[in-house]
Amino acid sequence: MREGVTVTGIGLVSPVGSSAAEVFDAVCEGRSGLRRPPEGHPVDGVVDVAAFSPDIDPASVLPGPESRVVDRSIVMALRAAEGALADAGVEVGRDVDPYRVAVIVSGVGGLSTLASQVLARAERGRFGVSPYLLPGTLPNMGAARIAIRFGIRGYTSSIGTACASGAQSLGEALRVLRADEADMVVCGSSEAPLFPAFADAFGNARALAHGWSDPTAASRPFDRRRNGLVLGEGAGVFVLERTAHAAARAARRHADLLGWGANNDAYHPTTPRPDGSGAAHCMRAALRDAGLHADDIGYLNAHGTSTKAGDAAEIAALRDVYGTATPPVSSTKGVTGHLLGVSGVIEAAIGIEALRRGLLPPTHNLDDPDPADEVDHIRKQPRTVPVRTVMSNSFGFGGHNVSLVFGPAAG
Amino acid sequence: MTDEIREFLFAALTEMKYDIEGADDDTVFGPAGLDVDSLGLAELAVRVEDRFGVAFDDDEAEALAMMTVGEFCRAVSRRIQPASAH
Repeated sequence: MREGVTVTGIGLVSPVGSSAAEVFDAVCEGRSGLRRPPEGHPVDGVVDVAAFSPDIDPASVLPGPESRVVDRSIVMALRAAEGALADAGVEVGRDVDPYRVAVIVSGVGGLSTLASQVLARAERGRFGVSPYLLPGTLPNMGAARIAIRFGIRGYTSSIGTACASGAQSLGEALRVLRADEADMVVCGSSEAPLFPAFADAFGNARALAHGWSDPTAASRPFDRRRNGLVLGEGAGVFVLERTAHAAARAARRHADLLGWGANNDAYHPTTPRPDGSGAAHCMRAALRDAGLHADDIGYLNAHGTSTKAGDAAEIAALRDVYGTATPPVSSTKGVTGHLLGVSGVIEAAIGIEALRRGLLPPTHNLDDPDPADEVDHIRKQPRTVPVRTVMSNSFGFGGHNVSLVFGPAAG
Repeated sequence: MTDEIREFLFAALTEMKYDIEGADDDTVFGPAGLDVDSLGLAELAVRVEDRFGVAFDDDEAEALAMMTVGEFCRAVSRRIQPASAH
């Protein structure tokens, strides 16, 4: 029988909370994380609205002189990892062999550090460039810093699949654990996209929500008036563990990761394949991997970024897999904004909380769904329904699709 | 000249967000003093190279961790004015 994999720790840094319970309460109550940029913030005057996570003193997660120069993406990754390991009740070396712990933490890297050094190079030439560009910018540094900070010495990597990278990190962790290459994987994503050049790129690509007098109305997945996504920053880290290992140390288990799928649209660098066939195939692969059928899924947390093209393609994919009898569906980005690679991790945490509570969060701001969707949208209020399994979708630029399936802790 | 170098050094360290309060010529750059890490020392060397037109080879940049502020200022000063050593 295949090795079971379970979730024993969740740590989040997000605009609406630092635990699965806090974030879940916010998405159920419609407490939005979207706001105008604070005065003086680098994206003040650059974007109308964004989802900001709390400030973290770098010295609180990275003692020593390097706390002075560390990129925000790494600070948030360290805080989320700290939270996840504490939630799992794990001290590496005491509770688990350091060589049997893996880290798979992803994201685009410290691009604001790169941007600032490119500007310094332009202004001051060669001598303006800090050697700290390297540990500040390289996308593997979140994972590496976590390994260094917590003494983790097993398999370590990061995955570059854009907004699917967090979900894919969880999926890769499942693969590593099933192969018995580790007992435990610290996995997830961290993203710090709120600086001018990066935000402008999304804006100029016409991907950002615009023109909303109320910033909390700007992210409205599947609503007919949606006009783009809202960029957010944060980090999400899970501790995934071989079920036998978790049982041996009597760890509390949040849920089991039952299966996953990952593939590519092979269509366009930034536009999803309109017929949703890639995403549909991905969801089917995840169901097959989990040993489930479509009608087993009790709740689906959609990628639903609030862009015209993305939401429409996902609807097409849902119809392809589930027909007109879709499970209850919501996108929680109406409250959280789009935290890029982190979104898949936060949404997995929301799905797990839905499992635990038998409560399904609504899509915030979904005032006017398209009747042609023929999808069971959860609107306005959370829905009380006991569910046995949940699916979470994440799609990324480059055509990357990832679907994860969770069930209650069992066995 | 060493005064000017020291002043530049402390300004650079401040800009790099190091705490220079109480630092003087006897303070070392390494963990027992300012606690500037290896990349910080490399950056400091680059800044001094840029400002004073001197050059450090790789070994010298690494050896900075063992030096005091005073030793470093005198070493830079000697390079700026090689004739004064004779």
